[in-house]
Amino acid sequence: MNPKFSAYAHPDALVDTDWLAAHLTDSDIRIVESNEDLLLYDTGHIPGAVHIDWRRDLNDETVRDYVGTEGFSALCRKNGITPETTVIFYGDKSNWWACYAFWVFQLFGHTKAKMLDGGRAKWTAEEKPLTREVPKHAETSYPVPAERNDSAFRAYQGQTLEHMLAKKPMVDVRSPKEFSGETTHMPEYPQEGVLRGGHIPGAKSCPWATAANADGTFKSADELKQIYSVNLGFQKDDDIIAYCRIGERSSHTWFVLKYLLGYEKVRNYDGSWTEWGNMVRTPVEKSFN
Amino acid sequence: MYPEALNDLIELFEHLPEQERRENLVTLSDSAKRCEPKEGETFDLEDVRKDEECTDTVGIFLRVGEDDKAHFAVTLGPAVQTLTKAMTSILCRGLNNTKLQDVLDVPADFVPRIVGAELVRLRSQTVYYVLSRMKTAVKMFMDRRRAGI
Repeated sequence: MNPKFSAYAHPDALVDTDWLAAHLTDSDIRIVESNEDLLLYDTGHIPGAVHIDWRRDLNDETVRDYVGTEGFSALCRKNGITPETTVIFYGDKSNWWACYAFWVFQLFGHTKAKMLDGGRAKWTAEEKPLTREVPKHAETSYPVPAERNDSAFRAYQGQTLEHMLAKKPMVDVRSPKEFSGETTHMPEYPQEGVLRGGHIPGAKSCPWATAANADGTFKSADELKQIYSVNLGFQKDDDIIAYCRIGERSSHTWFVLKYLLGYEKVRNYDGSWTEWGNMVRTPVEKSFN
Repeated sequence: MYPEALNDLIELFEHLPEQERRENLVTLSDSAKRCEPKEGETFDLEDVRKDEECTDTVGIFLRVGEDDKAHFAVTLGPAVQTLTKAMTSILCRGLNNTKLQDVLDVPADFVPRIVGAELVRLRSQTVYYVLSRMKTAVKMFMDRRRAGI
C-alpha cells in the first residue's frame, strides 16, 4: 500500500495509479470515469473503464434528485457491476465528479468503492495507458437496493436550516469570493442561476482545493488534520455538513472528512448554494459590501 | 443567415446519430491544434487572455484580407474543455473567409444544433465562449480601424 494512505482513517478507500496500472484486468474491479468535461472520456480513458455521467446516469431527469433504486440497479447491471464488485472512481477536476459518483453509490449502500488518488490528471501526467476503445462488459445481476439511504449521507435544505439554527459545524467549500458574496459564480465558470450571493450563516469557509495537492492527489493525513481539526476546529463526533454550489466540490470535501480523516457524521448538502441562494426568506450572510 | 461553410457543418452535424456526433466532435477537438498560428504568420489583431468565463487561456488572432474577409487562428490552454476545442475547429473552418460584418451577425443559436441537446449544459457553456471572443476581436479591429489606430 502507498505509505501515504496508511495514515488515513480508511486507507482502503484509495488506490494509487501504480496499483491500478497493475490491476487493470482484475475481474472483481470496475473502473469508473466521471468528469465535468462531457467528452473527455471519449478522447481516451483508462483501459476497461466505463463512463458514468453525473447528469445522465446519476440524476433524475425530471426532478432535481438522484435516480431511484431501480435506476441505480439498472446502471450497475449495464456497466457490469455486481454488489461484490469493487468500483474504482476517477475523473477530471481533481476528482470532483468522481467523488460525487462515489457519494451517490454510498446512498445505495455500495460500500465496495475506492477513489484513484490524483484522478485522471495524475494518470495522464505519468503517461499511463489510455484508450478510446469502449469496453463491452457483460450485463450483470444487481438486486434492486431496498432503499436509498439519504439520511446518513445527504442533507436537505430544511435539515441544513435546522443545522444552522443549532449552530452545528458547516463548511462552505466554494471559492473565497463566492463565500463573501462578491461573486455569484465560481472562478472560470458561468453564472449557474443564483439570485443572492453570500453564505449560510455560521458556515466556515474552507475551499475544497485546500485538501488537494497541485497534482490532484489528496494532501497527507497530517496536513488534512491541520486544516480541518486544528484550523476549523472540527471534533471527531461533530455532525458536519459540507456544501458548495451543486454538491460536486463538497463531495470532494465530504470524502476527505469521512474517509481520510474518519469523521463519522458528515453529510453533503447537494442542493447547495443554487438552492439556498434562491430560496425566499432564507438567511444569508455576506462579508463583502 | 450563416456563412456557407458554417452552414454546411451545421447541416452535417444536426443529422448525425448521437454516437457519430460525439465521435466527430472528438475528432474535431483533436484537430484544434491546427487552428494555431503558423510560424511566421502575422495578424492584424492578437487578443490572448484568461477570462473568468473560461477554464484556461484563449488566444484569438485575426488577420483581415481582401474584401474585409476574416482569417482566424486560435490558441487554447490545456484545461479548455473538449467541446470548446471542437467548437474552435468548427468556427475556424466555418468562419474563415467570412466578411467581418457577417462574423458579427452570426447568431449563437447554431451551437445546440451542432453539439446536440445532450451536451449543452450549464457546465459546458464555454462552448459559446470562442465565438464571443472571435466577435470581440472583430469588433475591436473595426473600432480601431474606424478610429484610425
